[in-house]
Amino acid sequence: MDDEREARRAGWRLMRGALRSQTRWVVLGVFAGALWTGAKVTIPLLAAGAIDNGVLPGDGGVIWRYALAMLAVGVVQGLASGLRRYVAFRIAYRTETDLRHRLFAHLQRLHFAFHDEAQTGQLMARANTDIQQINQVVILIPLTIASTLTLGAVVVIMALHNVLLTLLALGCLPLLNIAATRFAHRIQPVALGLQQELGDLSGVVEESISGIRAVKGFGAERLQSKRLDHEADAVRERALEAAQLRSRFLPLVDFLPILALVAILWYGGHLVLDGQLELGYIVAFNSYVLMLIWPLRMAGMLVAQASRSSAAAGRLHEILATDPAIADHHDAKPLRDGAGEIHFEGVSFGYAGDRSVLDRLDLQIRGGEAVALVGPTGSGKTTIARLVPRFYDVSEGRVLLDGVDVRRVKLRELRRAVGIVFDDTFLFSDTVRENIAFADPQAPMDAVRRAARLAGADEFIEDMPDGYETVIGEHGYSLSGGQRQRLAIARAILADPRVLILDDATSSVDPTKEHEIRAALREVMAGRTTLIIAHRPATVALADRVVLLDGGRVTAQGTHDELLESSERYREVLAAAAAKEAATTTTEPAS
Amino acid sequence: MGRGAWDPHPIEEKMSRHDATRVLRRLAEVLRPYRARIAVALLLLVSQTACLLAGPTLVRHGIDAGLETGDAGALNLSAVLYLGVAFVGLALGRAVIVMVARVGETFLRDLRSSVFRHLLSLGMDFFEREKTGKLVSRMTSDIDALQELVQMGLVMFVQNGLIFVGAVTVIFFLSWQLALFTLLVVPPVVIASRWFRNASNKAYLNVRDRIGANLSTLQEGLAGVRVVQAFGRERAFTRRFYETNEAQYDANIETVRISARYFPVVEFASVAGTALIVGVGGWFVSADIVTVGTVAAFVLYLNNLFEPIQQLSMLYNTLQQSGAALQKLFDLLDTRPSIAERPGAVDLPDRGTLELDHVSFAYGDHDVLHDVSLTIAPGERVALVGPTGAGKSTLAKLIARFYDPREGEVRYGDVSLRDTTLRSLRHRIVVVPQEGFLFAGSVRENVLVGRADATDEDIDAAVAALGLTERFAAFPDGLDTEVRERGSRLSAGERQLVSLVRAALADPTLLVLDEATSSLDPGTERMVERALTRLTAGRTVVVVAHRLSTAARADRVAVVDGGRLVELGTHAELIAREGAYASLYAAWDSRSAMGKVS
Repeated sequence: MDDEREARRAGWRLMRGALRSQTRWVVLGVFAGALWTGAKVTIPLLAAGAIDNGVLPGDGGVIWRYALAMLAVGVVQGLASGLRRYVAFRIAYRTETDLRHRLFAHLQRLHFAFHDEAQTGQLMARANTDIQQINQVVILIPLTIASTLTLGAVVVIMALHNVLLTLLALGCLPLLNIAATRFAHRIQPVALGLQQELGDLSGVVEESISGIRAVKGFGAERLQSKRLDHEADAVRERALEAAQLRSRFLPLVDFLPILALVAILWYGGHLVLDGQLELGYIVAFNSYVLMLIWPLRMAGMLVAQASRSSAAAGRLHEILATDPAIADHHDAKPLRDGAGEIHFEGVSFGYAGDRSVLDRLDLQIRGGEAVALVGPTGSGKTTIARLVPRFYDVSEGRVLLDGVDVRRVKLRELRRAVGIVFDDTFLFSDTVRENIAFADPQAPMDAVRRAARLAGADEFIEDMPDGYETVIGEHGYSLSGGQRQRLAIARAILADPRVLILDDATSSVDPTKEHEIRAALREVMAGRTTLIIAHRPATVALADRVVLLDGGRVTAQGTHDELLESSERYREVLAAAAAKEAATTTTEPAS
Repeated sequence: MGRGAWDPHPIEEKMSRHDATRVLRRLAEVLRPYRARIAVALLLLVSQTACLLAGPTLVRHGIDAGLETGDAGALNLSAVLYLGVAFVGLALGRAVIVMVARVGETFLRDLRSSVFRHLLSLGMDFFEREKTGKLVSRMTSDIDALQELVQMGLVMFVQNGLIFVGAVTVIFFLSWQLALFTLLVVPPVVIASRWFRNASNKAYLNVRDRIGANLSTLQEGLAGVRVVQAFGRERAFTRRFYETNEAQYDANIETVRISARYFPVVEFASVAGTALIVGVGGWFVSADIVTVGTVAAFVLYLNNLFEPIQQLSMLYNTLQQSGAALQKLFDLLDTRPSIAERPGAVDLPDRGTLELDHVSFAYGDHDVLHDVSLTIAPGERVALVGPTGAGKSTLAKLIARFYDPREGEVRYGDVSLRDTTLRSLRHRIVVVPQEGFLFAGSVRENVLVGRADATDEDIDAAVAALGLTERFAAFPDGLDTEVRERGSRLSAGERQLVSLVRAALADPTLLVLDEATSSLDPGTERMVERALTRLTAGRTVVVVAHRLSTAARADRVAVVDGGRLVELGTHAELIAREGAYASLYAAWDSRSAMGKVS
């Protein structure tokens, strides 16, 4: 409870802060709103004056003067109306846009561990629906101010003429608001129920169509139709329930103001007969009642919206208040020149408080050396790969790159010095060239081609419809897993890193193609430190040295051949990986 | 939501007049059964509108007969009448909503039901041509668009039309001279409203695109955040988001600009109308052409002229959308099923020989099968083998009459499948698809798809016959176990087992099996194998084989390649022939052996 209240309070602070940068617009908006209200309530007064001072005495000159005055005020009202609308929405959209940008920039800086925990869908909801909720409340604020001003002005003007008439005329109007609130409250569960039923219905449709072969194969059309009828009946029942509720509320919106109009005609009429009120005001008061219908229906919306919005802003604040755990140390130094020597000194590490993945691991990799990390799932291979570019910080010990603790190096330089190819190859919806040149968009085309060639990707790229300019990804050309991996390797090669890490980077590449890549990889690996995580013996054999990991520790090292000879465990791990790979490939006999 | 909000669903393009007329004519036809109820609803709506429009006229009477002459009785009478009319209007308003909902929702239910029935009656060719998502949206978003119309738009549309026409009629009746002057302000509002509708529709289409583009940058920035950080490209990527984000802002501001131009025009026109009525009306009063009450009534009626124009303009998109949805639904209803029962169709015999007699088939222009002839004896087990796209699945579909052949004939027990009742066909010939496809519901409901009138004893017997009693008993709630959407609560193997029991319950004489390509865990695999063996015992079986071990166990193997039957014989015969089958088998054998060794 307290947490929630605190979150809401933080949400309010966030919204206030976002609005503060637009103070001038807010002032302009309030001014336009006040001007608009003033003009609007003046018109009926002018109409009344025209009737009482012009029409009734039959003074044509007075009538025309009033009519011209009305036109002039009408111009002001129109201009103020446009301005008020523009300013209100501008503030709201500006707030929305700025907050979304802030959120995105912040998310880009947040550490891996945060993204491991967070779900993309939820973050998308923060940036989308939650920020829209904030937009909604920002739009409502000036609208509510104008409504309140209108209401106040009308009440004062009418009360100055006759208090009892004001009470009679406006007395039943608050019922509008009560009815609107009650309706919103009562319709909500019914509307939700209707959504639910519609969801069930579309479930039947969806499964019948995607399972059409099962439906037809068993002749189950009639059965499915009956199920659909059942759902369609339920939808109808719910919709009728909602209609019942609407029928009780919506006609009241027309009815309640008429009660006020009747009161004005009857009591106001008697006041006119008694000479206490001028006839023109009957007309003016009629206009006022009509003017108040919307403000009264909307009153209360702000309160409801504010509650939703502050909760949304609170959720947003929670993310913005999370500091990036991996950031430059205050006296971070530039990376020292070196050959890419990596040193793990008594490193222990575990993800998000889980059991320790690495257990006081010691590992020394010489500059320019190629080392393969081999081990069963969960042995810590990928973790080692991710500690070198400091995606996570160690919990004990230290990781040194060319003799400097990676926590003391400028993050940007460290990341540029270490190139990594992830096991899940993420590519962007861009051209092939932009994807390969991701690290350096200004890279010359020759460099891009060279990187592609070394990764064994140039051939299939040339075969694509627009070659290097082909757009890939969700809305573009779709690639096979192996092709994606080769592009990811090319991307890492182009960055020309001191340390290259290949995390299961060729697992989806067809074994026959992998052979070609291996030859090219040898060229890439020359002159830089390389960490290879792989299962296929031929890939592992690329390394100068193989490190066998088990339970977060190094259990054996040597060349591939040495380990094959000496380590029973090594043979087991490779055999298990091979069996797994065989099980996942298709047994379709022909192609 | 009245004046502030604009229908947020922009439309891509307007319906042509021709299409609109066609849809309306068709709609009138479909609505015929409901016409009595529609007439009642319309009558109620007209009466309600009359009550609404009576108000200003009663105010006029109160002013002219009461206030001007000092007659309190006339004033009281006007007020009492006004109150009475208001109550009648309230009651009628309620009745209208309920009545329209009853007619509309009943119509929608019937429409859902008939569209769905029609959809399921269409042939497999239709389902293979159309995307699932598109077909689902016919039944969901298209009909939902109509539902929205029924719930809100329709009453508002008709009512606003009636109010406008009614108000114009009444003011002409009160004073045609003043009415002519009043109507001067209507054309600018109509023109402005049309401009607004078109301009904001375009602007909102742009907003929709910008939002889409911004969301995909956002999505990519989140999904690819590790790559971005690994290459130290956070700033560049944030800059990229800045651009799409600002583009979304610009698109939104454009809609604001449009409405900031439109609403002032309407507000000013409304004030100008009042000024005109007061000015001209006052002059007419002194000329004794109209009374003061008439001028007051005109001021009040002005609202009834402006609101409807704005509302109707806003409802335009909703109507367009509903029209487009109806058009798509009618098109669907007009699609003829490719497989239908012939008049005088006969039941399929219980047992018999399956004969494919010079059968050819094509999907559109794409030839799939050429002149295939094959005879399968009762109780025989034949495996169809061949590379992907060779036509073996199509052959199986012809046997189950998912399609009719282009040329030639498929006969079972000497009856052409074209001449049989669909009911008996589906009863005798059952297809067990590759993946055990389950529907949301209990295990019982799923197996009852095989035979709707089966008792629990029948189900138990079928389960026992397949040797699955123990496995089924292990389900958490037995037969009542909910399998959830597409059986997601069960494992792949369990889904196949349920699907086999379903087939056993259907008790067909001919089984068409599409073998699963995905592998199961060895324990379940063995159980599925055993159940399959029991299920197929004593029945004619055609199996689309993906594993050659399955083919090796069949009585005969039919090798399909390039749409032709290239080899036919027992496994041993074909191996001995050293033809296509033998080489397929050799390749497969060495590959599976390799997997085992490594």
